[in-house]
Amino acid sequence: MLGDAGKAQEIFQAIMHDAALRAAEGELPNDRLSIFRDARYRCLGASEAGLQAEAIELEEHEIDSSAPVQIAKLEPAQLAVWISAAPDPQRTALALFYLDEFDHEELLALSELKTAELANLIGNGRQEFQAWLNATFPREQAFEEQA
Amino acid sequence: MKMPRLSRRQRMFVQCAPFNEERIRDRAMRAAVFRVHKTDEFANQREFDRAVAALVQTVPIPEGVTAWLSKGIYVAAPKRTWKQALRNPAVLAIGIAVSVIAAIFVMKLIERMNEFPGGTTARRLLTVASSVHSLMLDPVKTDAGALGDYFFMKHRLPHYDVPPEFADLRTLGCRVFDDEEGQRVAQIWLIEKHMQFFIFPAERDLKTGAARHFSGWRYVDQYRWTGVVQERNGVCFMAALRGSEKDLAPYISKPKD
Repeated sequence: MLGDAGKAQEIFQAIMHDAALRAAEGELPNDRLSIFRDARYRCLGASEAGLQAEAIELEEHEIDSSAPVQIAKLEPAQLAVWISAAPDPQRTALALFYLDEFDHEELLALSELKTAELANLIGNGRQEFQAWLNATFPREQAFEEQA
Repeated sequence: MKMPRLSRRQRMFVQCAPFNEERIRDRAMRAAVFRVHKTDEFANQREFDRAVAALVQTVPIPEGVTAWLSKGIYVAAPKRTWKQALRNPAVLAIGIAVSVIAAIFVMKLIERMNEFPGGTTARRLLTVASSVHSLMLDPVKTDAGALGDYFFMKHRLPHYDVPPEFADLRTLGCRVFDDEEGQRVAQIWLIEKHMQFFIFPAERDLKTGAARHFSGWRYVDQYRWTGVVQERNGVCFMAALRGSEKDLAPYISKPKD
């Protein structure tokens, strides 16, 4: 969500600190998602305070069968930066979707989106990411290395 | 394989379907995914998503984070509500079974509460009432109350009296017969509502031989016939008709002298 491990850890610790205080007072929330919701709001708040990504229309490419090879070349930090640069709620949708922690209903509840919106954001996100992959690892290069 | 024709809703589901099968809990989404799972386009999407997720999994998690998470203090233990518990099929099945048992128990209890000495004989006589024709009776046209003397004089049956509540009703005929247990039973046929009266000995205690008494009127029913029974002086009187308790209630609601 933030593309910055340091900031993410700060937010995580703040959330855990609050949770510990609430546990001490016996006021823990019943909802498993509440902690993720809290994390999302804090991340959005923190990213608003920092530098903002310029709103530009990204190119979209059809998903390529060689995409897994291209993705395997990436560093996790590159993916984190790419996702954190996406405008919200797309950033939230992509981050939560690829975390592989939630089912569809939970994704909708956490991202506060409807199915159509979520589908659109994820679908577009894939194609934008594919375009970025194609730009970063041009096809010829990917196929050569595969061979 | 080419993408089949999908509805707008199905296309949406396919777009945002979790790449981990275990996370697809929505039936409509599962159906949409099943339709496209063999297509090249969907296979590419799945491979793409899984590759991204695999990359996400390689994000190093700081030690402090793991330590905090392992404490598991951040969410309260889930509390089961009554509604959730009731939706559990096992609880539902047990609930139904207990309800059925309770209903049977209540029915038996009500039956027991309605039982009285002579109730079995009364039920048997209701069966007789439903099968007997007036032709089988001696024609006697008089007030029912006058037949007590007739039974005493002709058949030597003391206390075979019709209670005052029914004494004014006109009779068509009567007879005296021995039932299956060898008891002397008087049967009277009436004009009103094709009603029949039965007068029979009260149930007796097997040890002492004394009549087992009960007070007031007791209802009994059998095969759409209903009877109302009273015991007096060791003899039971039953007024029976084809109908329900409502049909007999007016006769016994106002006791007559």
